[in-house]
Amino acid sequence: MIDFLVAPFDRPYMTRALVEALLLGALCGAVGVYVLLRRLAFLTDAVTHTVFPGVVVGFLVSGRSGIVPGALVCAVAAVALFTAIAATRRVNEDTTLAVLLTAFFAVGVILISRQRSYTADLTAFLFGHILTIDTADIVVTAVVAVLAVLVLLGLGKELLLRAFDPEWARAAGYRITALDLVSNMLIALVVVASVQAVGTVLVIAMLVVPAAAARLLSERLGVIVAVAVLVGMAGAWLGLATSYEASVGHDVRLAAGATIVLVLVAFYALVTLGQASRRLVRR
Amino acid sequence: MSRPAAIVFDQASVAYGRVPALEQVHGTVHQGEIVALVGPNGAGKSTLIKALLGLVPVASGSISVLGRPPALARRQVAYVPQADTLDPDFPVSVAQVVLMGRYRRIGWLRPPGRADRDAAAEALAAVGLAHRAADRFGTLSGGQRQRVLLARAIAAQPAALLLDEPFNGVDAVSQEALLATIRALAAGGAAVVVSTHDLGLAQLTCDGICLLNRHQFGFGPPGEVLTPDLLRAAYGGAALELGDRGLIVARS
Repeated sequence: MIDFLVAPFDRPYMTRALVEALLLGALCGAVGVYVLLRRLAFLTDAVTHTVFPGVVVGFLVSGRSGIVPGALVCAVAAVALFTAIAATRRVNEDTTLAVLLTAFFAVGVILISRQRSYTADLTAFLFGHILTIDTADIVVTAVVAVLAVLVLLGLGKELLLRAFDPEWARAAGYRITALDLVSNMLIALVVVASVQAVGTVLVIAMLVVPAAAARLLSERLGVIVAVAVLVGMAGAWLGLATSYEASVGHDVRLAAGATIVLVLVAFYALVTLGQASRRLVRR
Repeated sequence: MSRPAAIVFDQASVAYGRVPALEQVHGTVHQGEIVALVGPNGAGKSTLIKALLGLVPVASGSISVLGRPPALARRQVAYVPQADTLDPDFPVSVAQVVLMGRYRRIGWLRPPGRADRDAAAEALAAVGLAHRAADRFGTLSGGQRQRVLLARAIAAQPAALLLDEPFNGVDAVSQEALLATIRALAAGGAAVVVSTHDLGLAQLTCDGICLLNRHQFGFGPPGEVLTPDLLRAAYGGAALELGDRGLIVARS
């Protein structure tokens, strides 16, 4: 068992993948708790889709090194737009998000479909390529992780208040739109940092699943954050090891990013089942 | 009554955009006074509280809170929303909710300190729920949650306290605890404005009544405002007269 968890990571490319996956697991776990509390899963999903054309344009302009800047520009623009629209409270937020995310996504698909290596590129952008991650990607993720820690520690109490009782926060004189802009930007940065490793589609699972599982396991916010971080990291490690073992040991090709997500979902399902059976026993 | 004025309404009208919600409110709440906002559903009671918080603009006339426009007085004003507007599944403890009352004093980027925790614990004890501090907020009964929200407001040590329908769906024990705490706060010099459907409770416990339905029908001591004529005028068809001893008001 220990061999299964350790042996694959002898190879440098697997070590890099592991470092990136652990960083992302922790980062997404922590930020995911806020996404859960604010019920921002749909907004996050919208950001992941709107980032897509940015990824494509960045790649077309300057290859792999253009992906993160491209994604960043799109994410920041999209989040500023969403926050502004939400602040007016005139239009139905869900509808706006749905229209914007599909529009952005379609633009991305059209851009990439003009390329010769269409399918291969599309797959990499949608599902990531964690096994070919380089040091620069890891640095980007680490910087975002440091930023996330600073924001969550520095504004933790204000974000908690805003999530729990926005009207009261407004009555106490807090600028909700400014707080929302900060937290939405943080979510956007997490999405951007995750694009290389797990792609635009699977980030949402990294953010939502560990936090949701942690919420089932505890009622205490501090514990929920800690558990979400641990679950995110454990899922990333186990997923990578599983995908390696299946691919190398058994000749069954399992995409690394998707395997991480499935491990997380399996854990969530186990927790849900455990809770349901406990409730049955208590009756 | 020589106590200084805390809240002054001067022919104030409040509007959502161009739609007037409440017109011609005129009166004064002094320090240490409890004033009830009464009137039928949709009378504008909540709107007036939002105006006092600076969340809804004053369209004409003026509202002054502690000598300033409402939006500039927020740090000295504490608000108690209806408990059932909050998500009962939210993973936050009772102690954490009360501590929120200290956030403005603590300021940005700092964690709560010892003094803040002590003040929060004291406020929670004042509403009789010190033993529930570690429980999740949503596990408490409606009345208890309302008391926790009052404790959060007290923890802010406000000069003015605004409560939106705090007695709705609240059990007798919690109602008594809420009333005792509100009275103690007023005795300490705070000005209290509380909206309520309960005319009996308003008559028994408040120093003043502001009778509203889209505009003001009366503002003054209970004996002068809660009269059959004024109530009939404010409640219209929802007023039901019984016998000749007075008047019972039925909710629409």
